[in-house]
Parts: sequence; C-alpha cells; structure tokens
Amino acid sequence: MTLLTMEAVLGCAPDDASAKAARGLTAAGKWPLLGADAAAAWGECQGSGARPYQTQVDFSGPAFRCSCPSRKFPCKHGLALLMLRVQAPQLFTAQAAPPWVSEWLASRSGKAQRKEARQADQAGQPPAQSPHATQADLADPATAAAPASLAASPGTARRQTLRWQRIQTAGTDLQRWLADQLAAGLGALDPARLQAWQTMAARLVDAQAPGLAYRLREAAAGVQQRDADWPERTLQCLGLLQLACEALQGREQLPPAVQADLRSAVGWPHDQAEVLAGGDQVPDRWTVLGLVTEEREDKLTERRVWLHGARSGRRAWLLDHAYAGRGFEQVWLAGSSVQATLAFFPGAAALRALCATAPGTLDAPVWPAAPLSAEWDRIAARVAACPWIGLHPLVVRDGVALQAGDGWLVAADGRALPLQIGESDAWALLAVSGGRPCHLMGEWDGHALRPLTAWAADTPSVSPPLWQRSNA
Amino acid sequence: MSTPAPSTQHAAGEAPGQTPGAVPGAVPGQAPGPAPATVWAPLLPMAMVGINRPGLALPAWPGEIGRLIALAVAGSDGNAATGMLRAAAVLATCGAAGAQGRPWPHALPAPAPADSLPAWPEGAALPDIAWAMHDGPARLAPLVFVALAQAGRRLPAALLPQALELGRRALALRPLLAPVLGERGRWLAARRTEWRYAADGAADGSTGDPPLPRHWQDGSLAQRLALLRRERASDPAAARTRLAAALPGLPAKERAEFTAVLADGLGQADEALLDQLRADRSREVRQAACDLLLRLPGAAHPQRAAARVAALLGRERTLLLRQRWVIAAPGAAGPDWKADNIDPVRPGHDSLGERAWWLYQLVRQVPLGWWTGQLGLDPAGLLTWARGTDWAEALLRGWRDVLLAAPDPAWCEAWLDAWPADLLRDDPAVVLALLPPVARERHWLRQLRASAVPLHASVQQILAAVPPGELLGAPLSAALAQALAVALAPGRAGAEHLLRTSLPELCAVLDPAALDRLASCPDSADAPPSWAATRHTVTQVVAVRRALLQLPPTRTP
Repeated sequence: MTLLTMEAVLGCAPDDASAKAARGLTAAGKWPLLGADAAAAWGECQGSGARPYQTQVDFSGPAFRCSCPSRKFPCKHGLALLMLRVQAPQLFTAQAAPPWVSEWLASRSGKAQRKEARQADQAGQPPAQSPHATQADLADPATAAAPASLAASPGTARRQTLRWQRIQTAGTDLQRWLADQLAAGLGALDPARLQAWQTMAARLVDAQAPGLAYRLREAAAGVQQRDADWPERTLQCLGLLQLACEALQGREQLPPAVQADLRSAVGWPHDQAEVLAGGDQVPDRWTVLGLVTEEREDKLTERRVWLHGARSGRRAWLLDHAYAGRGFEQVWLAGSSVQATLAFFPGAAALRALCATAPGTLDAPVWPAAPLSAEWDRIAARVAACPWIGLHPLVVRDGVALQAGDGWLVAADGRALPLQIGESDAWALLAVSGGRPCHLMGEWDGHALRPLTAWAADTPSVSPPLWQRSNA
Repeated sequence: MSTPAPSTQHAAGEAPGQTPGAVPGAVPGQAPGPAPATVWAPLLPMAMVGINRPGLALPAWPGEIGRLIALAVAGSDGNAATGMLRAAAVLATCGAAGAQGRPWPHALPAPAPADSLPAWPEGAALPDIAWAMHDGPARLAPLVFVALAQAGRRLPAALLPQALELGRRALALRPLLAPVLGERGRWLAARRTEWRYAADGAADGSTGDPPLPRHWQDGSLAQRLALLRRERASDPAAARTRLAAALPGLPAKERAEFTAVLADGLGQADEALLDQLRADRSREVRQAACDLLLRLPGAAHPQRAAARVAALLGRERTLLLRQRWVIAAPGAAGPDWKADNIDPVRPGHDSLGERAWWLYQLVRQVPLGWWTGQLGLDPAGLLTWARGTDWAEALLRGWRDVLLAAPDPAWCEAWLDAWPADLLRDDPAVVLALLPPVARERHWLRQLRASAVPLHASVQQILAAVPPGELLGAPLSAALAQALAVALAPGRAGAEHLLRTSLPELCAVLDPAALDRLASCPDSADAPPSWAATRHTVTQVVAVRRALLQLPPTRTP
C-alpha cells in the first residue's frame, strides 16, 4: 500500500473540490477509528453531525463506500481514508473489521461471484446496463437505447446493412465534396465557406457517421485558428478523411479487423456486450501507467486510463464518461497494478478495451522497461494497422523535462518532444525531477506529448510514481 | 480498389532524422526562424491556390513513400484533387507512424546538485504538511519552515513550488524559507524569474532585486528610497551627502520620506543637516527633523529646549520638611521660540489653556532621558509626579509625543502600567506597539484579565504583532486558551463570529501546551454551520503543529 502516492489517490477524485476537501481531512483527530487488514481499510470520520461517517475502501477493485450523503464518487472521506492509509499507515490501529465492514466485503465478493457465474452461464448475453458508456455511445441513442438482446436478430442485421449503406453514401458525397474543396484551394477559405464545412459535418451526423463529422469539424477549427502550420494540419485531416471514404467504398473486401476499425473511425460504436463476449480477452497484471480526466461539453466528464500488461506486454486504453462530476464507479489509481481480464475492442489497432472482470487487489506497479525506439516501433505498427488512431500511450525512458522559451519539452535519446502541460504541473515535474532523467508516460498525438505520470529513473521498477498530472 | 494502407515497413524504414514532417513548426524556445521544410511543403502551394489551375502537377517524393504516393495517385483516375487527397492520406499516415519529435543536439541544462540536508522523513504526516502549505492559515507555513530548519531538514521536493510561491508573495517569509530549500530548491528558484529571490547569488534573499545606481535619476520613489537606505547602511555619510544635495529639488512629501531614512544609523554627524531641515518649508519635514533631533540628546536644539524647561522647574519644601520638584508654565512666549519650532499660538479648540499649551510645546522638545537625570526619578515616578502637578495634561501630552518620536522601553512599560486614561484619549495599543513582541505579552495578559478590550480585538492585536514563524509565550497562550474556552463555550456559539474566524490563525501562534485545550473545546448544538468548518480547520492546524513537534531531529555527526 505504501506504493501508492497521495497524488494518485487525488487523481481519482471526481472534481477539484473533492480533492481539496480530502486534503483537509487528514488530521488524525478527525478519525476516531482507523483500521485496516489485508483486504480493506475502514474508518469513522467526524463530520458535522453527531454520528461519524463510516468510510471504507476495499483494496480489491478498489471500491469505496461511505455513509455520508455526498453524491460524489468517491467522496472526500473515501479519498482521505485511502490517502491516510498510504501516507500514515501507523494510524490504522484497529485490526478486526467491524460488522459494517465485513458485511459489505462479503456482499461485494458474493456479488462478484454471482456476476462471474452469470457471465459463465450467459456468455454472449450482454448485461442489461454497462457502466462503460462511451461518448460515442451516448451520442448515438440508436445503439445505446436498443435492447442489446436484439443484437443478433435478423432485424438488426438488416438495420446494420441499411446503416452501412447510408454511411457509404455519405462517404461518397464527402469524397466528392473534399475534391471540390481542394480544387478551389484552401487559401480561398473564408468564414462563409467554412460555414459550408459545418453544414457538411451536420449532414454526416445525419447519415450516422459522427466520427467523420468530428474530423471535418476539427479540420475546420484548425483553419479558423490559423496556427503557423494550419495548411498541412488541415491536409492531414482531409487525407485521413479521404482514406476513410475510400475504405468505405471497398469495405466488404477489407479484413474483418480493418472493418471493425473503420466502424470506430466513422463513429459507430461497437456493442459493449459483444466486446465483452469477444475473443480478445487478456488476463494480466495491469499497471495503470496514467490517467486523465477532462471536462467535456454538457457537464460530461471523460476519463482515459492507460494500462500496461506485465506478462502480455500489451497496452490498453479504457475510455469512460460520467455526467455532472459524479465520478466513476470503477476507480483506477495511477502507479498501481491490479489483476484483471481486459476485453479488447475488435480491430487491428487492438488498443481500446473494457474491463471484463472485477479487478483484483491493488498491487505495486510493474513499469514497462522498453527503450524509446521500441515505443516508436509500437506506435508505427499501430498506425500501420489503423491509421485513424489519434492518441497513443508513449513511455519516454530517461527523459529530461526542461523549459524551452515559453514552452516545455522532454529531451531523450538526442530528440525532443514538445510537452502539452500546464504551468503548475510543469513546475511540479521540474521540482521532483530536479533536471535529472526520469521516466515519463503520456499521450502522444504525433505532435506533442501530454505527460500524465513520471517515475524515478534510478529506483526499482516497482516504485510509486514521482509525479502525476493534476486534474486541473 | 484497395485502400493504400502503409505497412509497418514504410514507417520503420525511415531513419531517425528523416522523419516526415510530423512535428511542424519550431520547437518552442528555439531560435525563431523559418519553420523547417517538411514533406508537406511541395504540396502546400497547390493546396492553397487550388489544384485545377493549369500548369500545376503533383510533385514526386523520394523513397518508398514516394513510390507508394505515386501508386496511390495513379489509381485516382486522373482526378487531380483526388490524387492530392490520396497523397495527403499517405503522408498523414506515414507521418503519424514515423513521428519521433525533433532532433535535440543541444546540451542539457545542468541538473540540481545533490542535497546534503536530509529530506522530510518518510511517512511523517506529509499530507498534513501539504495541507498546511496549500490550504492552511497564513501563519502555519512559516512554522513548517522553522521546524524543518530546527530539525536540520529540507522541504520535500514536491512542496518546493508552493513554498517558493509563498515566499514570492511575502518578503518576511524569505529568510525563514532560505534554510530549508536545499540545493533542489535553490536550483528550482533560479529557473523562474518570480522565484529568483531564493536562488544562489540573489541580493540578500529578503529585499528582492538590489536597486541600481541609475535608479537615483530615473527610478520610482520606492526605488530611490531603497537605494538611499542601502547606502545609509553601508556608508551613512555618503547617504547624507546624497540626501542633502537632492532635497532642494524634491516635493514636500518626498522630502519627508527621505528625511526619515536618516533614522537608520542616526549620529551626531547628522545634526547640522537636521538643524537645517528644521527650517524647511514643509511642516511635515520640520517635525520629522525635530523628532530625529530628540534622539540626539547632545544636540543643540534639544539642549536649548531642556534649558527652557529647567528654568521652569523649582523645588519646594513639603510639610514633612522634604524637598519636592514643582513646575510652572511659561508666563509669556519667548522671542526665540519661532526659530526653535515652538508654536506659541494655541489652537482654539484645544483642551489646554494658553500657558499649558506653551509648556506642552516646550516639553515635547526635551528628550525623556533629561527628566530622569534632572529629577532623579524613574519613569513611573515621573508619571506619578506629573499627575501631582498643576500641569499634568501638558506634561503627559509632551512626554507622549517624545515617546512616540524616540521610543524607550522603560517609559513604555511605565505608561502601560499606569495609563492616564482620564487625561489622554489615545489608545494604549499605540504605546504597546512600540515594544518588542515578547515585551508586549505581559500587557496583553493584563488586558485579557481586565476584559476591558473585547477578546476578538485583543486577538487581532496579538495576531498582528507576532512575526511569521514565531510563537507566543506559554503564560499568554494558556490565558488565551482559557479565555477562548469561556467565550466559545456551548450556548454562546452564535456570538463571537469575529473570534471564530481568527481561531485557525491563532492556533498557529499559540504555545504547543495550549493547543490541547483548544482542540478539545466541546461542540455545541446551536453552533452555526460555518463553525463546523472553522473547527475542522482548527483540528487540522493542531494536527500539523503536533506533527512538527514530533519531527525527528537529524543525527549530528
């Protein structure tokens, strides 16, 4: 447990206010009872009421529970309890779990067993409601709301064929339209003509291809911002759109994996139940390399978790969304590892996954040890398999974070990657690294690295992270 | 037709350094100049003007990617725009596959030197300390610095940015911060303009950038004052010469502020200039000069004043055949008074009569030390004596003026012990503020016991007087804790809002022994909701204070 850090615990706070409140709940005097065993930690926290709140963390998962009325998850008491467990284990003097702890643990393990049994019984039958609703799923009520049991029915097959046809038609239109744009020249783009790009994007949404619409809007935004390199950035976007349009035309001749990637690229989400029942299931000890939580429009929070399998060596990407700062049911702590089975989405990229089993007990991280060149090879292979992947997990070993003019970069192996990092995060990283090499994990978009986690270069591979991107 | 999907070979086949222009634009901070040409460059002109212009043809790219582009373009059925889009598709994909940042041929900046001081001990209440630095009351962070310095330790690296930020905002924190920064902290401070005050070789760590000589000509008032003060500290005579030369050209307000600088390192050599300034056009400057002369008992001006008062003193025999001092007020204004800054015209609304006014004017020019020497009485005895004369108010007002101009601890104590509330309308806090903080505690104790001043006002006074990083003494702390326990007892929770809000700050300056008493102060059911938050903060502050007390000292070799 000492392998976690305060920052990692705060990293799973549903919002800044919760993190700040949790930081202010660490006085031992606030906790008349603190106890822990191998499976869980529990405590009673004195709130404003007469009765203290009963707070508990099951290390398996991990999972939080608290008797406080907060609708945030995890609540500040749960965060503070785990933070205390990490930083001041000597305070946890109670050893026998009180009934309110043991009963909860028992119900949780019972639930997990029932779930596994159910999954064994009904392999292929999706659970009625999956916690992992993606943004694309949410944007696509047709799929999200459709009863999943219809997935394999003949009516569904017909609907799917119809939908592919609609998308294909839209792709053909888009391709012609793209050619028209280039025939006229990007230099002639003015606000009025860019409005036509938005109209085209709206038509793509109507044709149930929101993924293509998203790329087109991104290209339009780049034109509007007019950064120094906007023409080539725009051409990149348009080139990848062209690739998607042509792939749509020849879709039936493509290998099934590429077809699956194409479906993701046009923004037609895969059915989560099918993913969970799919063939690419990887049990492993998964280390949370890093995670980032971002506010999206309409009070939607997006969380991206990047995992590394100790045995398989595979990387995985978990994408979740939550509304209105509620937080996420499944908690991931940067720099910890858990035993879990991941189900990968179909496709040649094989990056995005769902967690198919309840994760096991929190354990020390197993950081990847491959040199940077191997990381680049991994990315090259992934892009070759699926050119539409926008974000890649990248581990930069022995990188030196440094200031360069107004910005920041990481230098490693005689090369430099620009860092996408906020000022306070950057100074914190510089403070803990002291200008010495450290290992840095982040999201690479082909242009810049958004660092999420750093760990020390000169310590064993199981040490806790040195630094973690703040939620802000 | 098949999609021209690149294989791994294409991407991996590129040697580093020939990366297709996937990171366009200069790396921030590199010398500005034209962005390096990328593989996109040949495509850009026609993409901008439109591919259908006559005479335009797609360029060719070298190597395997060039062949792939040629193949893709050949399949576009002669549509130039589609060909260009296909070329862009190949370039975008291969660019993404081969992007590896930019070459970095530059030397890396020197890392922070290794630290010799031990860091914060593992597991020692780090969350509490992090809270103290980020969200705690302002007086808590300095205590952390002091405790660390006493234990011979340095701040954990993760807390350095916040510590340097605190020091940037508060000059008084900087001397406390310096010993616990360690090599890492000084190295970090050197990397950011706002933190450079704490870097190696910074001026003196407490005053920010040193003033430059040119500031005397073109600097702001603050810069010129800083420059004069520095010179006064190192070479008092040079500073005096500089001041004397500059004074005639300055506006009245600036003349007064510059004159005040002479208080630092004041000496007999300053008398001539001060005498000259007694004739300044500005009343403020004349007063400042007279006040400073009071601190030079050997100077001619206070000596003349003492001689005038001496002429008014006499001795008379009491009933018990003992001698005692008596004083008379002047019968008329002297002709030489004007030249010596004595104002013979009594303001119409003053409570003193005309002769008393004259006496007051004379007394306020005589150093206090003269009285103790002349009458053979200590300050307390003099105060008693003055109250027995017919001219008590004139004497007390004169002495008060002199005390404020040239503070004297023994006189302060005497005043505070026997405050003439019937004759002076001043707040004793004015005199209390003249004492060093430690010497004030006795009077605060008495103030608390007397209950004449509201408790929250006393607390505010005390908080304002404690320098960062210092604590109140045990007796005062105990008395405060006692008074607070009474004031905040259950049933009175609705009142004392002002007191509650200053409680967290107060907990950061109390002696540790008094903390337990406050921490165990019982909750009451009728407390307003904000009280729960305050109590919570108090608990946190107490936890931090205890953690600091338990900080293990480093072993001395």
